[in-house]
Amino acid sequence: MGKILLKILGGFTIFLLLIVAITWLFWIPSASGPGYVFVKAWGEKGSAPGQFNDPTGLAVHKGEVFVSDARNGRVQVFDFDGKFKRQISSKGDGRDQLGRPMNMVIAGNELYVADYWNDRIQVFGLDGIYKRSIGKAGKGPGELGSPGGVAVAPNGDVFVADFYGQRVQQLRADGSFVRQWGKTGKIGFMAGEFNYPTDVALALDGTLFMADGYNDRIQVFGADGQFLRKWGGPWAINIFGPFNGWFATVTSIDFDKQGNVFVADFYNNRIQKFMPDGTFLTSIGKRGKGPGQFDKAIAVAVADDGTVFAADFRNNRIQKWRPE
Amino acid sequence: MKKQILIGLFSLLFLQSVFAAGTRYEMRVDGLACPFCAYGVEKKLKAVEGASDITVDLNKGLVSVNIAEGKELTEEQMKKLFKDAGFTYRSMKKFPL
Repeated sequence: MGKILLKILGGFTIFLLLIVAITWLFWIPSASGPGYVFVKAWGEKGSAPGQFNDPTGLAVHKGEVFVSDARNGRVQVFDFDGKFKRQISSKGDGRDQLGRPMNMVIAGNELYVADYWNDRIQVFGLDGIYKRSIGKAGKGPGELGSPGGVAVAPNGDVFVADFYGQRVQQLRADGSFVRQWGKTGKIGFMAGEFNYPTDVALALDGTLFMADGYNDRIQVFGADGQFLRKWGGPWAINIFGPFNGWFATVTSIDFDKQGNVFVADFYNNRIQKFMPDGTFLTSIGKRGKGPGQFDKAIAVAVADDGTVFAADFRNNRIQKWRPE
Repeated sequence: MKKQILIGLFSLLFLQSVFAAGTRYEMRVDGLACPFCAYGVEKKLKAVEGASDITVDLNKGLVSVNIAEGKELTEEQMKKLFKDAGFTYRSMKKFPL
């Protein structure tokens, strides 16, 4: 009887070890790309120029870093060394103001800001001059429920991560509805469904990469709108974790010049870098308050020379990293 | 002199009644995951009449708001509000201001 019990226990242990080994092999990849070196950080909590009260979004353009300063209701512009240059907009719900600015993108020399509280995309010139607003509050086609991120196509079409709408919408430049991914207001974890999408980014070939926030994954769609792939933990079905290639709330997405994908992995306090097919390359940062450490990494933007900028949410600062 | 003291005391009572107006509500909530959530809750609470000084503590799952005198938050109202915002309401405490 004892021998049989031992055999069963032994078999069970081997089975468990096998599962762990398979999980490790298939779902926890090793870094296969060069790493990044911390360069500097700037910012602290406050409302003066160069200070932040919740940095939540980033964009880079020709030597300038644009930072969404959410609770201060503004975008601040810095040079690549963190020197303050100018402020765009102010807090409020007026025509040219920002409620809670989140992820941003720069296209055609214009800055597109997801204005989370005011349910619209605000468009400014890079000098800060207000240009126009896209969208209004609602659940209908072309209406928005707290937009978290935005991307812009060469023809001016706008893609919006509609956070409470549980969808990503494609709109014309005038705000008219084209199509959407996800069912309005319905949370899901199957391919093409969303659980609070936070950001969207458009690759040069028209492929759409969507940060599916609380599903802890990236979803990818072709220029024709068809689902291509997803990644983030086993089967990318809302299984979160701290391992390479896994996420714990995805909040921002951007590309480098080679098309590699950078993802802000909020609760894992890091930026992860992938090939466009989802192959894990490397990660940047770890938890903490020191140099090169994050207290919640919320946004990422990559400059043409490969420099990575990351918003360090709770430390109220921006970090700069360069490739090794 | 007596008259001045009485007027002073009366004024103090009046001022106290003005500044003591309202209630601070503290609510326990499950599911707060990131600033997107926090801002969503704040957005919905600021639309409530008489609401001010909204704070959201993600770590503790605690949402606090001041409500002006004469206004009140109900549990049913908060259950719906937090459900709409994507979270689960747990409990509420009230403190006079």
